[in-house]
Amino acid sequence: MAMKFICDTERCIACYGCVVACKEGHHLPIGVNRRRVVIVNEGKPGEKSISIACMHCSDAPCMAVCPTKCIYKREDGIVLHDKTKCIGCGYCLMACPFGAPQFPKSGPFGARGVMDKCTFCAGGPAPTFSEQEKQLYGQNRIAEGKVPLCAGMCSTKALLAGDSEVISEIYTQRVAKRGAANL
Amino acid sequence: MAARKIISRKAPSGRKFTLNPKVARRSFMKIAAAVTALTGLALSGRLTKEAEAKAKKSPYSQSKIVRTICTYCSVGCGIYAEVENDVWVRQEIAQDHPVSRGGHCCKGAGAIDMVNSEKRLKYPLKRQNGRWVKISWEQAMDEICSKLLDIRKKYGPDAVHWNGSAKVSTEMAYLQRKLAAFWGTNNIDHQARI
Amino acid sequence: MTNHFNDIRHSKLLFFIGSNAAEAHPVAMQYILYAKEVNNAPVIVVDPRFTKLAAKATDYVRIRPGTDTAFLMGLINQLIQNDWYDKEFVRTRVAGFEELKKEASHYTPEVVEDITGVPAKEVVRIAKLLADNRPGTVIWCMGITQHHIGSSNTRACCILQLMLGNMGKSGGGTNIFRGHDNVQGATDMCVLSHSLPGYYGLSDKAWKHWCKVWGVDYEWIKSRFYNKKYMNKPGFTLARWYQGVIQEDKITQYTPIKAVVFWGISSQSISQYHKVKKAFEQLDLVVVIDPFFNTTAAMCEKDNVYVLPSTSQYETEGSVTSSCRQAQWRYKVVNPVYDSKTDYEIMEEFVKRFGFADKFYKNIKKIPEDITREIANGCLTIGLCGWLPERIKKHTDNWHTFDIDTLQAKGGPCDGEYYGLPWPCWTEDHPGTPILYDISKPVAKGGLPFRARFGTEYTYPDGRKENLLAAEGVANPGSEIMGGYPEFPGWKTDKNVIKEAIKRGMAPFGNARARCYCWNFPDPVPKHREPLHSPRPDLIKKYPTYPDKPDHYRVYTRYKSEQKPELAKEFPIVLITGRVVEHMGGGDETRSNKYLAELMPEVYAEINPRLANDYGLRDGEMVWIESPEGGRIKIKVKVTERVDDKTIFIPYSFSGMFMGRSMLSNYPQGFEPYAIGEPANIVTNYGYDIKTQIQGTKECLCRIKKA
Repeated sequence: MAMKFICDTERCIACYGCVVACKEGHHLPIGVNRRRVVIVNEGKPGEKSISIACMHCSDAPCMAVCPTKCIYKREDGIVLHDKTKCIGCGYCLMACPFGAPQFPKSGPFGARGVMDKCTFCAGGPAPTFSEQEKQLYGQNRIAEGKVPLCAGMCSTKALLAGDSEVISEIYTQRVAKRGAANL
Repeated sequence: MAARKIISRKAPSGRKFTLNPKVARRSFMKIAAAVTALTGLALSGRLTKEAEAKAKKSPYSQSKIVRTICTYCSVGCGIYAEVENDVWVRQEIAQDHPVSRGGHCCKGAGAIDMVNSEKRLKYPLKRQNGRWVKISWEQAMDEICSKLLDIRKKYGPDAVHWNGSAKVSTEMAYLQRKLAAFWGTNNIDHQARI
Repeated sequence: MTNHFNDIRHSKLLFFIGSNAAEAHPVAMQYILYAKEVNNAPVIVVDPRFTKLAAKATDYVRIRPGTDTAFLMGLINQLIQNDWYDKEFVRTRVAGFEELKKEASHYTPEVVEDITGVPAKEVVRIAKLLADNRPGTVIWCMGITQHHIGSSNTRACCILQLMLGNMGKSGGGTNIFRGHDNVQGATDMCVLSHSLPGYYGLSDKAWKHWCKVWGVDYEWIKSRFYNKKYMNKPGFTLARWYQGVIQEDKITQYTPIKAVVFWGISSQSISQYHKVKKAFEQLDLVVVIDPFFNTTAAMCEKDNVYVLPSTSQYETEGSVTSSCRQAQWRYKVVNPVYDSKTDYEIMEEFVKRFGFADKFYKNIKKIPEDITREIANGCLTIGLCGWLPERIKKHTDNWHTFDIDTLQAKGGPCDGEYYGLPWPCWTEDHPGTPILYDISKPVAKGGLPFRARFGTEYTYPDGRKENLLAAEGVANPGSEIMGGYPEFPGWKTDKNVIKEAIKRGMAPFGNARARCYCWNFPDPVPKHREPLHSPRPDLIKKYPTYPDKPDHYRVYTRYKSEQKPELAKEFPIVLITGRVVEHMGGGDETRSNKYLAELMPEVYAEINPRLANDYGLRDGEMVWIESPEGGRIKIKVKVTERVDDKTIFIPYSFSGMFMGRSMLSNYPQGFEPYAIGEPANIVTNYGYDIKTQIQGTKECLCRIKKA
């Protein structure tokens, strides 16, 4: 199984519910956006929006380029990283096609802090529910048997999260119902 | 469509979109998802529970869930507020609310901030010599009410205008209207006017 | 809303006019997109601005601000001319059709094109779409109401639905998405200067009814007023109360206003805001009660202001009524934080010191439940008799048992009832009325005919007489009379009458026709009138506004004397305002939320690339926007095609700047919001609805200058 997100662009209305759900749920600092909403063709016919975070790639390019090998993939496909090993070099950001890795504000001389990114609400390598896990990675909802906040709070059910086969099935059924006109 | 391409690129390789959902093969793990394509609930708790069977506890062992309603627009979205020791620790997803079904916009997703915001007004204030001075409730209410009663006596009840609220409970709104009536004026209005 | 959000799932067409649901009601969008996807429903969005909702539309119609009635009448005319209207519905449940037909015939597609800017062909095409896809829902918000002909606009929407036969049907209805979380509840309680709770008005009968409910002597209440005349006379409104202070327009009250209390509300939503600021400088006392230090307090620069910290809604409890008339119990999450008090406690502090606590709380021992009971005892007109606190709580406690398609509980403790007991909920065992005016269900099971409020017969000016009651054979199943019937005498003040009516299968308020011709309105049939400040001076002569209204909620309100054709020369650009999803209302709360402030940190003016280039403005530059009333704001330019080249859009949720000056120094340290900006309402213009006095912020003129 592989945990994935799908954002249905026919449903996304750029309400930013996912963005704030994520930030509020994990108490993220200003400037760190694990999830973002991108709008294309703003204000014109054909305007579309999509919510983007770490896509938990099957073959994650960030893992390949990380010099400290701090990024790893869980059995369920969720890509996490160890903040205690990260050196903030930023290679992962260069490798990521979605711009998912986030870095806290640069200090003097443009120094970067430790990388932060979407955890699929699965915490991190620190002990589950420990204070350290909460501080470094935020909530570990997956360990509680709960859905990621962003998808759970999506106002229009545009953002789906879960096992890739299940959510792509939901998406497929939606597309089928829409008919050719709304593809 | 550009956006669609992103999605199909991310779809598992070799997977075809099929118009008959029954064709898709399902393992027991996948069936566990209490999702329907058309209602679009994203992912059930059961799925993830089984995926992560080892963990049972919650970070807030003493917490309780309170059902409440979002305070922004008039859709009336449900909120599950997780409370521990009289602190609102976490906002949970009210996925079984019949109208919002867990959904929130950015305002509602941060509803917890209404209680936990550092910017909340913390005590009564009075403007004195161009500065804000902290005063007690007793002093504030005494001064305000005696000034209001003086104005009423000097100019009549219609010299006070009351602006009530669409943000308070129905019961409180009712009291606001009742207060104006008992005060002796129809100079009362609220956001619905504009 | 006549229907409910979930019911949109059954719509075959969605017609939005003056609503941007994607930003103002995002969670409702799940049902809107469902109808679009599953029912293949056309989504028609009529708006001067290509909104985020328009991005989801199948058909977007750009319309000139302030011309909605002309467009709607054009559609109605097409329905009638082409025989696309629902003849049976009109025959049995509508009054004043002949008068409507006559007035509508003026609005040919070509006339509509000239007024609205919508191509004539589009008018016909949209009318055909409406006719071909039934039932469809019509949804509007402040884009329709905030005009000097706002009340005509709303009525034109209703008439459109009557012509289509879409009223009282699942998937149809007139669905006004309301703004604030409890604006429906507060409106029902009539925190309004023209009525007592339950829309009883201010007549002697209304006062006597409420005195009985309160358990106080009518003579005592009367003695509280200046004199009896002022008991029956509507008061100042939120839109114009400040004129009671500055008196630029003549007031019709014996005293100027000396003190104002802002309780759970701020002031930057009031148009011509720079004049409101002037009022703050002249008042003896300003009291602000709010969980946040709001703009009103920051605008007072005299030692006349007190600020009291009320709790947020989550630290107190009570019922709230959502847009679709359903009540939910908002439970208390935590106890009050800091030194804040609940609104109920603050009310007690006032009442105690005013010396009428015993009278005020006569029936109220347990707060808030006993208040809910008093409301249920008094608000018979909208059928709140069944809204007992324990019932409302039961629904909230069991919200998971309600079906999302019908909002009806399937089994469980609320079996058969509709979620939130949408009013009218006539009796203590009534299930609520999910869809208004639906005659397919018995009244006891949530059905309802049209209300008989205006007698049984009317003679039109041309001598035509018409029966105002519904036609023979048209009534809810189980009705003792299968046809129209007048209201039951005394139903508004006697619960037994209501019970009796329900027992006989009838609606307490009668069974009548919906009127297309409202003789008690300035325009009995809606007609176009050019905005007071019109960018089309050539149309003013043909479609002039109303004569001035000398005593309009206690203040002289200019219409004809304000409408000057030459104004457009000096102020050539149309200005509209609206919502952004990140902020709420005036934004004092949401701009104090760091994440929302980060998402939408500053105010801007949307300007079309063509207009920007004409003025030499580039994206991100600052611009002065000036109103005919002398208001001016300095804000950032956002070049976008959302607006056309004659129109500017500004979101209205900002404050903390005032005509180029920062007001931050007026905030106590630590209480200032994270984001500040110029309030759009400094530059919104003069102009108020003839009936309700809502401000016309969606039909303003302005001029711009590079800053």
